[in-house]
Amino acid sequence: MNTREYFLPQSVNEATQLLAKHGPFMLVMAGGTIAMPLINEGISFPQKVMGLRRAGLSYVTKPNGKITIGAMSTLTQMLDLKEIPILQEAAHQVGGWAIRNMGTVGGNLFAPPPAGDFAAALMALDAQLKLVSTAGARIISLTDFYTGFMTTALSPGELVTEIQVPVPTGKTAYLKYGRKHANTPAVVTVAAQIELDGEGVTNSRIALNAVGPHPIRASKAEEILSGSPLNPTTINMAASAAAEECEPFSDAIATEWYRRKMVEVYVRRTLTKITDRR
Amino acid sequence: MASKIVTFTLNGRRIEVLVKPLTTVQTLLRDQLGLTSTKAGCKQGGCGSCTVLVNGDPMMSCLLPVEDVQGQEVTTLEGITPTPGLHIIQEVFYENFAIQCGYCTPGMIMVSKALLDRNPHPGREEIIDALTGNYCRCTGYEPIIQAIEEAARRMNGNGN
Repeated sequence: MNTREYFLPQSVNEATQLLAKHGPFMLVMAGGTIAMPLINEGISFPQKVMGLRRAGLSYVTKPNGKITIGAMSTLTQMLDLKEIPILQEAAHQVGGWAIRNMGTVGGNLFAPPPAGDFAAALMALDAQLKLVSTAGARIISLTDFYTGFMTTALSPGELVTEIQVPVPTGKTAYLKYGRKHANTPAVVTVAAQIELDGEGVTNSRIALNAVGPHPIRASKAEEILSGSPLNPTTINMAASAAAEECEPFSDAIATEWYRRKMVEVYVRRTLTKITDRR
Repeated sequence: MASKIVTFTLNGRRIEVLVKPLTTVQTLLRDQLGLTSTKAGCKQGGCGSCTVLVNGDPMMSCLLPVEDVQGQEVTTLEGITPTPGLHIIQEVFYENFAIQCGYCTPGMIMVSKALLDRNPHPGREEIIDALTGNYCRCTGYEPIIQAIEEAARRMNGNGN
Protein backbone atom coordinates (compact mmCIF):
# COMPACT_ATOMS: atom_id res chain seq x y z
CA MET A 1 0.00 0.00 0.00
CA ASN A 2 1.48 3.32 -1.00
CA THR A 3 -1.25 5.76 -0.09
CA ARG A 4 0.52 8.97 0.82
CA GLU A 5 -2.35 10.99 2.14
CA TYR A 6 -5.67 10.09 3.74
CA PHE A 7 -8.04 13.00 4.21
CA LEU A 8 -10.96 12.86 6.61
CA PRO A 9 -12.93 16.09 6.09
CA GLN A 10 -15.19 17.23 8.91
CA SER A 11 -17.82 18.86 6.69
CA VAL A 12 -19.19 18.82 3.14
CA ASN A 13 -17.59 22.20 2.61
CA GLU A 14 -14.16 20.87 3.52
CA ALA A 15 -14.74 17.78 1.37
CA THR A 16 -15.63 19.74 -1.76
CA GLN A 17 -12.64 22.03 -1.23
CA LEU A 18 -10.32 19.02 -0.96
CA LEU A 19 -11.90 17.58 -4.08
CA ALA A 20 -11.43 20.85 -5.97
CA LYS A 21 -7.80 20.96 -4.89
CA HIS A 22 -6.75 17.34 -5.48
CA GLY A 23 -9.14 16.60 -8.31
CA PRO A 24 -9.36 13.29 -10.11
CA PHE A 25 -6.18 11.93 -8.53
CA MET A 26 -7.92 11.51 -5.20
CA LEU A 27 -10.11 8.48 -4.53
CA VAL A 28 -13.35 9.35 -2.75
CA MET A 29 -14.35 6.63 -0.31
CA ALA A 30 -17.61 6.23 1.62
CA GLY A 31 -18.00 3.08 3.73
CA GLY A 32 -14.90 1.45 2.22
CA THR A 33 -16.64 -1.82 1.37
CA ILE A 34 -15.83 -1.43 -2.35
CA ALA A 35 -12.60 0.58 -2.31
CA MET A 36 -10.75 -1.10 0.56
CA PRO A 37 -10.86 -4.66 -0.86
CA LEU A 38 -9.27 -3.37 -4.07
CA ILE A 39 -6.61 -1.49 -2.10
CA ASN A 40 -5.91 -4.47 0.20
CA GLU A 41 -5.54 -6.69 -2.84
CA GLY A 42 -3.17 -4.30 -4.60
CA ILE A 43 -5.52 -3.86 -7.54
CA SER A 44 -5.98 -0.20 -6.78
CA PHE A 45 -3.23 1.88 -5.18
CA PRO A 46 -4.45 5.46 -4.91
CA GLN A 47 -1.89 8.02 -3.69
CA LYS A 48 -4.59 10.18 -2.15
CA VAL A 49 -7.81 9.00 -0.54
CA MET A 50 -10.63 11.01 1.01
CA GLY A 51 -12.89 9.23 3.51
CA LEU A 52 -16.30 10.77 4.21
CA ARG A 53 -17.23 9.16 7.56
CA ARG A 54 -16.78 12.44 9.46
CA ALA A 55 -18.31 14.76 6.87
CA GLY A 56 -21.68 15.03 8.62
CA LEU A 57 -23.61 13.17 5.93
CA SER A 58 -25.11 10.47 8.11
CA TYR A 59 -28.70 11.56 8.63
CA VAL A 60 -32.27 10.78 7.67
CA THR A 61 -34.85 13.56 7.73
CA LYS A 62 -38.50 13.47 6.74
CA PRO A 63 -39.77 16.74 5.35
CA ASN A 64 -43.27 16.71 3.78
CA GLY A 65 -43.86 13.61 1.65
CA LYS A 66 -40.15 13.05 1.15
CA ILE A 67 -37.38 11.16 2.86
CA THR A 68 -33.98 12.80 2.72
CA ILE A 69 -31.05 10.47 3.23
CA GLY A 70 -27.53 11.77 3.83
CA ALA A 71 -25.17 9.97 1.44
CA MET A 72 -23.10 8.50 4.31
CA SER A 73 -26.10 6.92 6.05
CA THR A 74 -25.42 3.23 6.44
CA LEU A 75 -27.56 0.43 5.09
CA THR A 76 -28.23 -0.52 8.73
CA GLN A 77 -29.85 2.90 9.20
CA MET A 78 -32.18 2.08 6.28
CA LEU A 79 -33.63 -0.87 8.24
CA ASP A 80 -35.46 1.69 10.40
CA LEU A 81 -37.23 3.35 7.43
CA LYS A 82 -40.71 2.08 8.25
CA GLU A 83 -42.29 4.48 5.75
CA ILE A 84 -40.63 2.70 2.82
CA PRO A 85 -40.66 -1.08 3.36
CA ILE A 86 -39.05 -1.70 -0.04
CA LEU A 87 -35.92 0.14 1.12
CA GLN A 88 -35.84 -1.84 4.37
CA GLU A 89 -36.08 -5.03 2.36
CA ALA A 90 -33.41 -3.98 -0.14
CA ALA A 91 -31.02 -2.88 2.62
CA HIS A 92 -31.47 -6.09 4.56
CA GLN A 93 -30.44 -8.14 1.54
CA VAL A 94 -27.08 -6.39 1.19
CA GLY A 95 -24.10 -8.28 2.65
CA GLY A 96 -24.07 -9.34 6.30
CA TRP A 97 -24.54 -7.29 9.46
CA ALA A 98 -20.99 -5.87 9.63
CA ILE A 99 -21.07 -4.86 5.95
CA ARG A 100 -24.42 -3.11 6.43
CA ASN A 101 -22.90 -1.22 9.35
CA MET A 102 -20.17 0.08 7.01
CA GLY A 103 -21.68 0.25 3.52
CA THR A 104 -23.52 3.49 2.77
CA VAL A 105 -26.46 4.54 0.64
CA GLY A 106 -24.30 6.98 -1.33
CA GLY A 107 -21.54 4.42 -1.82
CA ASN A 108 -23.99 1.82 -3.08
CA LEU A 109 -24.79 4.12 -6.04
CA PHE A 110 -21.21 3.56 -7.21
CA ALA A 111 -21.10 -0.21 -6.66
CA PRO A 112 -20.45 -1.93 -9.97
CA PRO A 113 -22.95 -4.70 -10.88
CA PRO A 114 -23.78 -7.30 -9.71
CA ALA A 115 -23.52 -5.12 -6.56
CA GLY A 116 -25.63 -1.98 -6.24
CA ASP A 117 -29.03 -3.52 -5.56
CA PHE A 118 -30.05 -0.80 -3.13
CA ALA A 119 -29.63 1.74 -5.94
CA ALA A 120 -32.13 -0.27 -8.02
CA ALA A 121 -34.70 0.06 -5.23
CA LEU A 122 -34.03 3.80 -5.10
CA MET A 123 -34.48 3.98 -8.87
CA ALA A 124 -37.92 2.36 -8.70
CA LEU A 125 -38.87 5.07 -6.18
CA ASP A 126 -37.69 7.84 -8.53
CA ALA A 127 -34.99 9.04 -6.14
CA GLN A 128 -33.24 12.35 -6.79
CA LEU A 129 -29.60 13.01 -5.95
CA LYS A 130 -28.12 16.20 -4.62
CA LEU A 131 -24.69 16.85 -6.11
CA VAL A 132 -22.52 19.45 -4.42
CA SER A 133 -19.29 21.12 -5.51
CA THR A 134 -17.51 24.32 -4.51
CA ALA A 135 -19.53 25.99 -7.30
CA GLY A 136 -22.89 25.07 -5.77
CA ALA A 137 -25.48 22.34 -5.75
CA ARG A 138 -27.77 20.68 -8.27
CA ILE A 139 -30.41 17.96 -8.24
CA ILE A 140 -30.43 15.11 -10.75
CA SER A 141 -32.64 12.04 -11.01
CA LEU A 142 -30.96 8.73 -10.23
CA THR A 143 -32.12 7.36 -13.58
CA ASP A 144 -30.12 10.09 -15.36
CA PHE A 145 -27.14 9.69 -13.05
CA TYR A 146 -25.70 6.61 -14.74
CA THR A 147 -23.98 7.09 -18.10
CA GLY A 148 -22.16 3.76 -18.52
CA PHE A 149 -20.19 1.06 -16.76
CA MET A 150 -18.66 2.81 -13.73
CA THR A 151 -19.30 6.21 -15.26
CA THR A 152 -21.80 8.78 -14.01
CA ALA A 153 -23.07 12.27 -14.66
CA LEU A 154 -20.90 13.61 -11.81
CA SER A 155 -18.82 16.55 -12.96
CA PRO A 156 -15.25 16.92 -11.74
CA GLY A 157 -15.34 18.30 -8.20
CA GLU A 158 -18.85 17.08 -7.45
CA LEU A 159 -19.93 14.84 -4.57
CA VAL A 160 -23.22 13.04 -4.04
CA THR A 161 -24.30 14.40 -0.67
CA GLU A 162 -27.96 13.50 -0.40
CA ILE A 163 -30.54 11.10 -1.76
CA GLN A 164 -34.12 12.39 -1.81
CA VAL A 165 -36.86 9.79 -2.00
CA PRO A 166 -40.53 10.65 -2.45
CA VAL A 167 -42.66 8.44 -0.20
CA PRO A 168 -44.11 5.92 -2.67
CA THR A 169 -47.68 6.57 -3.81
CA GLY A 170 -47.94 3.30 -5.72
CA LYS A 171 -47.55 -0.33 -4.73
CA THR A 172 -44.01 -1.59 -4.47
CA ALA A 173 -42.26 -4.93 -4.60
CA TYR A 174 -38.63 -6.03 -4.49
CA LEU A 175 -37.09 -9.37 -5.37
CA LYS A 176 -33.43 -10.23 -5.34
CA TYR A 177 -32.39 -13.57 -6.73
CA GLY A 178 -28.95 -14.85 -5.74
CA ARG A 179 -27.32 -18.25 -5.49
CA LYS A 180 -27.70 -18.28 -1.71
CA HIS A 181 -30.41 -17.01 0.62
CA ALA A 182 -28.34 -14.19 2.09
CA ASN A 183 -25.06 -12.29 1.74
CA THR A 184 -24.90 -13.05 -1.96
CA PRO A 185 -24.36 -11.20 -5.22
CA ALA A 186 -27.43 -11.00 -7.44
CA VAL A 187 -28.23 -13.04 -10.52
CA VAL A 188 -30.92 -10.42 -11.00
CA THR A 189 -32.64 -7.88 -8.77
CA VAL A 190 -36.02 -6.36 -9.61
CA ALA A 191 -37.57 -3.35 -7.89
CA ALA A 192 -40.95 -2.07 -9.02
CA GLN A 193 -43.44 0.63 -8.17
CA ILE A 194 -46.84 0.55 -9.87
CA GLU A 195 -49.54 3.19 -9.53
CA LEU A 196 -53.04 1.97 -10.27
CA ASP A 197 -56.26 3.83 -10.89
CA GLY A 198 -58.84 1.11 -10.42
CA GLU A 199 -57.64 -1.63 -12.77
CA GLY A 200 -55.44 0.48 -15.04
CA VAL A 201 -51.78 1.27 -14.52
CA THR A 202 -51.24 5.01 -14.49
CA ASN A 203 -47.53 5.00 -13.77
CA SER A 204 -44.95 2.26 -13.51
CA ARG A 205 -41.28 2.13 -12.64
CA ILE A 206 -39.37 -1.11 -12.99
CA ALA A 207 -35.67 -1.10 -12.10
CA LEU A 208 -33.30 -4.00 -12.71
CA ASN A 209 -29.83 -4.66 -11.37
CA ALA A 210 -27.06 -7.12 -12.23
CA VAL A 211 -28.31 -7.26 -15.83
CA GLY A 212 -26.66 -4.17 -17.28
CA PRO A 213 -23.67 -1.86 -16.87
CA HIS A 214 -25.48 -0.20 -13.92
CA PRO A 215 -28.96 -0.31 -12.37
CA ILE A 216 -31.34 0.23 -15.30
CA ARG A 217 -35.01 0.99 -15.93
CA ALA A 218 -36.95 -1.57 -17.94
CA SER A 219 -38.58 1.19 -20.00
CA LYS A 220 -40.17 -1.04 -22.64
CA ALA A 221 -41.80 -3.12 -19.95
CA GLU A 222 -42.99 0.10 -18.29
CA GLU A 223 -44.51 1.28 -21.60
CA ILE A 224 -46.42 -1.97 -22.04
CA LEU A 225 -47.98 -1.61 -18.60
CA SER A 226 -48.83 2.07 -18.94
CA GLY A 227 -52.57 2.49 -19.39
CA SER A 228 -53.17 -1.28 -19.37
CA PRO A 229 -54.75 -3.38 -16.68
CA LEU A 230 -52.31 -5.33 -14.52
CA ASN A 231 -53.21 -8.95 -15.25
CA PRO A 232 -51.33 -12.16 -16.12
CA THR A 233 -51.34 -11.33 -19.85
CA THR A 234 -49.85 -7.84 -19.50
CA ILE A 235 -47.47 -9.04 -16.80
CA ASN A 236 -46.14 -11.75 -19.11
CA MET A 237 -45.73 -9.24 -21.94
CA ALA A 238 -43.86 -6.83 -19.68
CA ALA A 239 -41.64 -9.60 -18.34
CA SER A 240 -40.56 -10.77 -21.78
CA ALA A 241 -39.99 -7.17 -22.89
CA ALA A 242 -37.72 -6.64 -19.87
CA ALA A 243 -35.79 -9.83 -20.69
CA GLU A 244 -35.32 -8.58 -24.24
CA GLU A 245 -34.23 -5.04 -23.41
CA CYS A 246 -31.81 -5.76 -20.54
CA GLU A 247 -28.08 -6.17 -21.19
CA PRO A 248 -26.91 -9.00 -18.95
CA PHE A 249 -23.30 -10.17 -18.63
CA SER A 250 -21.61 -13.43 -17.73
CA ASP A 251 -19.57 -13.71 -14.54
CA ALA A 252 -18.80 -16.23 -11.81
CA ILE A 253 -22.40 -15.97 -10.57
CA ALA A 254 -24.35 -16.60 -13.78
CA THR A 255 -24.14 -16.56 -17.55
CA GLU A 256 -25.70 -13.91 -19.75
CA TRP A 257 -28.18 -16.51 -21.04
CA TYR A 258 -29.27 -17.52 -17.54
CA ARG A 259 -29.56 -13.96 -16.31
CA ARG A 260 -31.84 -13.07 -19.23
CA LYS A 261 -34.10 -16.06 -18.48
CA MET A 262 -34.24 -15.05 -14.82
CA VAL A 263 -35.13 -11.44 -15.67
CA GLU A 264 -38.31 -12.73 -17.27
CA VAL A 265 -39.11 -14.97 -14.30
CA TYR A 266 -38.35 -12.35 -11.66
CA VAL A 267 -40.07 -9.40 -13.35
CA ARG A 268 -43.14 -11.63 -13.62
CA ARG A 269 -42.91 -12.63 -9.95
CA THR A 270 -42.35 -9.05 -8.81
CA LEU A 271 -45.37 -7.73 -10.72
CA THR A 272 -47.49 -10.66 -9.57
CA LYS A 273 -46.52 -9.84 -6.00
CA ILE A 274 -47.91 -6.35 -6.59
CA THR A 275 -51.25 -7.70 -7.87
CA ASP A 276 -51.41 -9.96 -4.82
CA ARG A 277 -51.09 -6.90 -2.61
CA ARG A 278 -54.24 -5.28 -3.92
CA MET B 1 3.99 9.92 3.75
CA ALA B 2 2.33 11.77 6.59
CA SER B 3 1.74 9.43 9.51
CA LYS B 4 -0.89 10.55 11.98
CA ILE B 5 -1.57 10.15 15.67
CA VAL B 6 -4.98 8.62 16.35
CA THR B 7 -6.57 8.38 19.80
CA PHE B 8 -9.36 5.96 20.57
CA THR B 9 -10.58 3.54 23.22
CA LEU B 10 -9.44 -0.03 22.72
CA ASN B 11 -10.96 -2.66 25.01
CA GLY B 12 -11.78 -0.02 27.61
CA ARG B 13 -8.35 1.66 27.60
CA ARG B 14 -7.64 4.96 25.93
CA ILE B 15 -4.73 4.51 23.51
CA GLU B 16 -2.74 6.68 21.17
CA VAL B 17 -1.20 5.19 18.04
CA LEU B 18 0.90 6.46 15.16
CA VAL B 19 -0.33 5.10 11.82
CA LYS B 20 0.58 5.46 8.16
CA PRO B 21 -2.21 6.81 5.90
CA LEU B 22 -5.08 4.35 5.36
CA THR B 23 -3.70 1.71 7.75
CA THR B 24 -6.60 -0.56 8.63
CA VAL B 25 -7.73 -1.38 12.18
CA GLN B 26 -6.89 -5.01 11.38
CA THR B 27 -3.26 -4.22 10.50
CA LEU B 28 -2.93 -1.99 13.56
CA LEU B 29 -4.28 -4.64 15.92
CA ARG B 30 -2.30 -7.54 14.52
CA ASP B 31 0.98 -6.01 13.37
CA GLN B 32 1.45 -2.95 15.57
CA LEU B 33 -0.28 -3.94 18.81
CA GLY B 34 0.15 -7.73 18.70
CA LEU B 35 -3.54 -8.38 19.38
CA THR B 36 -3.93 -11.36 17.08
CA SER B 37 -7.39 -12.60 18.06
CA THR B 38 -8.66 -10.43 15.20
CA LYS B 39 -7.90 -12.62 12.19
CA ALA B 40 -6.85 -11.71 8.68
CA GLY B 41 -8.88 -13.97 6.41
CA CYS B 42 -9.86 -12.54 3.04
CA LYS B 43 -9.14 -8.81 3.56
CA GLN B 44 -12.18 -8.24 1.34
CA GLY B 45 -14.91 -7.88 3.94
CA GLY B 46 -16.19 -11.24 2.77
CA CYS B 47 -15.36 -13.70 5.55
CA GLY B 48 -16.05 -11.93 8.86
CA SER B 49 -13.00 -13.34 10.67
CA CYS B 50 -11.72 -9.79 11.35
CA THR B 51 -14.98 -8.56 12.92
CA VAL B 52 -14.52 -6.08 15.77
CA LEU B 53 -17.11 -3.97 17.56
CA VAL B 54 -17.07 -0.22 17.02
CA ASN B 55 -19.30 1.43 19.62
CA GLY B 56 -20.93 -1.99 19.96
CA ASP B 57 -21.63 -2.43 16.23
CA PRO B 58 -19.87 -5.24 14.34
CA MET B 59 -17.58 -3.97 11.60
CA MET B 60 -14.96 -5.54 9.34
CA SER B 61 -11.63 -4.28 10.67
CA CYS B 62 -9.94 -5.09 7.33
CA LEU B 63 -12.00 -2.39 5.61
CA LEU B 64 -11.79 0.22 8.35
CA PRO B 65 -9.07 2.90 8.36
CA VAL B 66 -7.69 3.58 11.85
CA GLU B 67 -8.26 7.30 11.41
CA ASP B 68 -11.99 6.63 11.06
CA VAL B 69 -12.18 5.30 14.65
CA GLN B 70 -10.69 8.46 16.19
CA GLY B 71 -12.54 8.98 19.49
CA GLN B 72 -14.57 5.78 19.09
CA GLU B 73 -14.75 2.65 21.22
CA VAL B 74 -13.26 -0.48 19.66
CA THR B 75 -13.70 -3.93 21.23
CA THR B 76 -11.88 -7.11 20.22
CA LEU B 77 -12.06 -10.63 21.60
CA GLU B 78 -9.21 -9.77 23.98
CA GLY B 79 -11.46 -7.08 25.44
CA ILE B 80 -14.33 -9.39 26.39
CA THR B 81 -12.18 -12.21 27.75
CA PRO B 82 -11.95 -12.03 31.56
CA THR B 83 -8.64 -12.74 33.33
CA PRO B 84 -8.55 -15.50 34.33
CA GLY B 85 -11.24 -17.58 32.62
CA LEU B 86 -13.55 -17.31 29.68
CA HIS B 87 -16.57 -15.24 28.69
CA ILE B 88 -19.85 -17.21 28.72
CA ILE B 89 -19.95 -17.10 24.90
CA GLN B 90 -16.43 -18.55 24.76
CA GLU B 91 -17.41 -21.29 27.20
CA VAL B 92 -20.46 -22.35 25.23
CA PHE B 93 -18.51 -22.35 21.95
CA TYR B 94 -15.98 -24.66 23.59
CA GLU B 95 -18.57 -26.95 25.15
CA ASN B 96 -20.80 -27.21 22.07
CA PHE B 97 -18.01 -28.08 19.62
CA ALA B 98 -18.62 -24.76 17.85
CA ILE B 99 -14.88 -24.46 17.24
CA GLN B 100 -12.92 -26.68 14.88
CA CYS B 101 -9.97 -24.95 13.19
CA GLY B 102 -10.84 -21.83 15.19
CA TYR B 103 -10.10 -19.22 12.56
CA CYS B 104 -13.65 -17.89 12.33
CA THR B 105 -14.22 -18.11 16.09
CA PRO B 106 -13.17 -14.61 17.23
CA GLY B 107 -15.38 -13.01 14.54
CA MET B 108 -18.27 -15.33 15.37
CA ILE B 109 -17.98 -14.51 19.08
CA MET B 110 -17.84 -10.75 18.49
CA VAL B 111 -21.00 -10.90 16.37
CA SER B 112 -22.68 -13.13 18.98
CA LYS B 113 -21.75 -10.63 21.68
CA ALA B 114 -23.25 -7.75 19.69
CA LEU B 115 -26.40 -9.78 19.02
CA LEU B 116 -26.90 -10.82 22.66
CA ASP B 117 -26.25 -7.26 23.86
CA ARG B 118 -29.14 -6.06 21.70
CA ASN B 119 -31.39 -9.07 21.93
CA PRO B 120 -30.85 -11.28 25.02
CA HIS B 121 -33.26 -13.93 23.71
CA PRO B 122 -32.72 -14.19 19.96
CA GLY B 123 -34.69 -16.73 17.94
CA ARG B 124 -32.95 -19.22 15.67
CA GLU B 125 -33.71 -17.11 12.59
CA GLU B 126 -32.32 -13.99 14.25
CA ILE B 127 -29.11 -15.83 15.13
CA ILE B 128 -28.71 -17.07 11.56
CA ASP B 129 -29.42 -13.59 10.21
CA ALA B 130 -26.75 -12.06 12.49
CA LEU B 131 -24.15 -14.61 11.36
CA THR B 132 -24.67 -14.30 7.58
CA GLY B 133 -21.49 -12.23 7.17
CA ASN B 134 -19.28 -14.74 9.01
CA TYR B 135 -18.03 -17.80 7.20
CA CYS B 136 -17.14 -21.07 8.90
CA ARG B 137 -15.82 -23.80 6.62
CA CYS B 138 -15.58 -26.46 9.35
CA THR B 139 -18.59 -26.76 11.59
CA GLY B 140 -21.53 -26.45 9.22
CA TYR B 141 -22.82 -23.68 11.53
CA GLU B 142 -25.23 -25.86 13.50
CA PRO B 143 -22.99 -26.16 16.61
CA ILE B 144 -22.39 -22.39 16.49
CA ILE B 145 -26.12 -21.65 16.37
CA GLN B 146 -26.71 -24.03 19.26
CA ALA B 147 -23.87 -22.47 21.25
CA ILE B 148 -25.43 -19.03 20.92
CA GLU B 149 -28.82 -20.39 21.98
CA GLU B 150 -27.11 -21.92 25.02
CA ALA B 151 -25.30 -18.64 25.77
CA ALA B 152 -28.63 -16.81 25.72
CA ARG B 153 -30.08 -19.33 28.19
CA ARG B 154 -27.09 -19.07 30.54
CA MET B 155 -26.91 -15.30 30.47
CA ASN B 156 -30.69 -15.12 30.95
CA GLY B 157 -30.80 -11.52 29.92
CA ASN B 158 -27.62 -10.51 31.71
CA GLY B 159 -24.90 -9.64 29.21
CA ASN B 160 -21.17 -8.92 29.56
